[in-house]
Amino acid sequence: MTADAVAFWCLAVVLVGSALAVVLTKNLFHAVLWLALALTGTAGVFLLLDAEFIAAVQLLLYAGGIVTIVVFAIVVTERLVGERISQTSRRIAGGAVVAGGVLALILNAVRGQVFPAARPEMVGDLTRTVGETVMTRFVLAFELLAVLMLAALMGAIYFARPDD
Amino acid sequence: MGLQAYLTLAAIVFCIGLFGVMTRRNTIGILLGIELMLNSVNINLVAFGRYSGDVTGMVFTVFTICITVAEAAVGLAIVILLFRVRRTVTADHLDLLRG
Amino acid sequence: MAGDGTLALAALLLHAVAFLVLAVAAPLRRLGRPAGYVSILCAAGSLAAAVLSWRAHAGEAISRLVWTWLPTEGQTLATVGVLADADSTLMLTLVALVALLVQVYSLGYLSDESAPALGRYYAYQSLFAFSMMGLVLAPNFVQLFICWELVGLCSYLLIGFWYQRPAAARAALKAFWITKAGDVGFLIGIVLLWRHTGTFDLAEMRVLAGNGAIPLAGLAVITFCIYLGAVGKSAQFPLHIWLPDAMEGPTPVSALIHAATMVTAGVYLLHRTDWLFALTPDVLAIVVWIGAFTALLSAVLACVQTDIKRVLAYSTVSQLSYMMAAIGAGFSAAGFFHLLTHGIFKALLFLGAGAVIHAAHSNDLTDMGRLARRMPQTAIVFTVGALSLAGLPLFAGFLSKEEILGAVRAGGFTAPFAMLILVAFLTAFYMFRVVFLAFFAEPVALHAGAPVAAGVGAHASHVADAGHHASHAAAGVAAHEPHEPPASMLLPLWVLALLSVAIGVYFTFVHPEPEFTSPAWLMPVAVGSAVAGILLAWATYQRRAIDAASLAAAFGPIYRSALARFWIDDVFERAYLLAILGFSRVIGWIDRYLVDGVLNMLSAWTVTAADDLRTMQSGRAQDYVYGIAVGLLVLLLWVQFG
Repeated sequence: MTADAVAFWCLAVVLVGSALAVVLTKNLFHAVLWLALALTGTAGVFLLLDAEFIAAVQLLLYAGGIVTIVVFAIVVTERLVGERISQTSRRIAGGAVVAGGVLALILNAVRGQVFPAARPEMVGDLTRTVGETVMTRFVLAFELLAVLMLAALMGAIYFARPDD
Repeated sequence: MGLQAYLTLAAIVFCIGLFGVMTRRNTIGILLGIELMLNSVNINLVAFGRYSGDVTGMVFTVFTICITVAEAAVGLAIVILLFRVRRTVTADHLDLLRG
Repeated sequence: MAGDGTLALAALLLHAVAFLVLAVAAPLRRLGRPAGYVSILCAAGSLAAAVLSWRAHAGEAISRLVWTWLPTEGQTLATVGVLADADSTLMLTLVALVALLVQVYSLGYLSDESAPALGRYYAYQSLFAFSMMGLVLAPNFVQLFICWELVGLCSYLLIGFWYQRPAAARAALKAFWITKAGDVGFLIGIVLLWRHTGTFDLAEMRVLAGNGAIPLAGLAVITFCIYLGAVGKSAQFPLHIWLPDAMEGPTPVSALIHAATMVTAGVYLLHRTDWLFALTPDVLAIVVWIGAFTALLSAVLACVQTDIKRVLAYSTVSQLSYMMAAIGAGFSAAGFFHLLTHGIFKALLFLGAGAVIHAAHSNDLTDMGRLARRMPQTAIVFTVGALSLAGLPLFAGFLSKEEILGAVRAGGFTAPFAMLILVAFLTAFYMFRVVFLAFFAEPVALHAGAPVAAGVGAHASHVADAGHHASHAAAGVAAHEPHEPPASMLLPLWVLALLSVAIGVYFTFVHPEPEFTSPAWLMPVAVGSAVAGILLAWATYQRRAIDAASLAAAFGPIYRSALARFWIDDVFERAYLLAILGFSRVIGWIDRYLVDGVLNMLSAWTVTAADDLRTMQSGRAQDYVYGIAVGLLVLLLWVQFG
């Protein structure tokens, strides 16, 4: 068992475990923390895939940004309600069956395919390549993304503005 | 580790997210499930990109992360607004569009 | 040149030219009288061409001039053109002659009409003459049927010439639909015949019939269907009811269309296809019986009419039935002969009646009397016409009527023969009833306490063109002062009267070769019954030796039924109402319970189903996610295992 495999298995256990915790924990705040862990684990997976830049973005934006926003939201709503928000689940059995069915079928589909076992050698700096591609081939999409971000930001501010 | 392992992992995380979206009563909880699902998609994209020697998958991941952040920001803003108006964060109570 | 049908074609096309000129050149049409001159000019040329064509085709000469029309799969389905032979050119001459005379006569008769109306009248007249000639000369059933319908259309237009009058509009519709009923049968018959023989062409079909190449199975149905068309057009029982009502049209129209030409189209059709009918003797027997019955029925009806035109109308029905009977007996030449002489003297009678109406401003016989003093010329020509109709020697109807009687007897139809003899008696009686009442006897109104045999005012509503003329008379100077008609009306009358006499004298002495032998007693019996009828009319209405009322009383039930027109019109009306109402009810039921029912059911189902489906729309986002997930599951299953 190589170091890669050991790392993968560890990350996989962390990821799946924290993900399950996210959807099953009663305490909403804990769930967010579990999500942070899951996102961090994903960043590890990205590292395993030689995508250091993506891993960094994942940590900064997701684990940092989103978790912070969610925590803010929880704090705000809890303060408004004045009590701790615990969350319960419903239709657990049905959801499990459906989700399990979907999983089984996806895995079945994945199993039937032949995939390249070895990853090709990456030439040069991957981060640099990503940056160049973003700025050349996908520059238009990138600009549009900027507009989207701006719009989302303004929308979020508008929605969350204090009552007059 | 082969590509298959990563895809399997992503599929598991995706279905857990799906399960969360379907079962959570709290709107924020639902959003968390969605984050999980999007996350698993990112794993897929990066894994495919890496194994095919193409950076496009990673570029897309960057985009996806950005969009997800935007979605999370707007979504949570909506949750806060809803909470302010309806005094609830339980998704079942938000059924104004019931037929 | 003359022998190849060109002249016949010219006679036909001259009327078409007149019609097209009047139809296209609206300013000319609106001028009225000039439009009439155009028509008359063309009609005169047409008559000349027709006469020349007739002379060229006397005997066995036959000429065909046809153009291909409706080609199908390498062969010609139908042609248009002319088929000129002895019969068709003779008929053509009659049509051309009467059309010309009627058009001249109309100049005087309709002089009070507004100019546009007069132009319209002449356009219709030309169209009619063209259509009728096209019918007469038709080389095949297709052209014949088209022209058949065209003359029906002209008949409709001209009956409804005074379309502002509801009675005229209604009569026009009635004529149109009743004849249409027969035409449906005709059309079916033609198509069946085509399937039977593979051709529409009369000449080809005749050759086939001569060779015995036409299968006899099912032919009776076909000939009966064709006969149905003739029943409608030639006013045979039970479709005869439209003809008396058609008298709502102007009198010249009645003379041309509803006496001399169009109504004889049915007789002409049967004469034209007698070789075909000869193959189906059963149908011919029906023709004889219906003919004889209609003749008797309408002769009785004619006796009780007070409207002079209605008397003539029923007389026309009766005479047409005479011809039909002869054709049914298998001697169509006799029927055709009577058709020609009848065309002349019935046109004369109608035009004479028109002159009387013109003068007396009334259709009603009770308003007339002693008109002979005021209008002696009209009295003379009308009497000539009446004598011809009665069938006295030296007059046109003499030989032709006797031929018919002989034909029916020779055909072995004894009972119809007896009926026709009775009709001969009745014909003379009702004709001279008109003659005496109108021209010679004291006006009834002055003759206190002697009501005419007919119920006075029974048909007061049918004052057709009389009322029309009366309205003009009110504006004129000499109201109700009967006078001789103008020259344009007298001239046609005299021409027809002289022709009637000429034909009568000629055939009284020159007997054509008979196709059958008649017993020696036939002529005395026929003439005797006619004379008896005249004498009875004289005694009743001139001398008043026999009280008309008691005469009527003697025939009580018949008299009363005749006044009610034997309830045939009522039966039709009831049947019509019943059929329409019944049909409407069925349709209504279907609409209400089937069409609406299905729709209501569908809408109800939609509502309930939507109500049920509505609950799926919970409004909760998660339920939708659940649905999407299940859908995804199904999709995956389908992709992988489907």
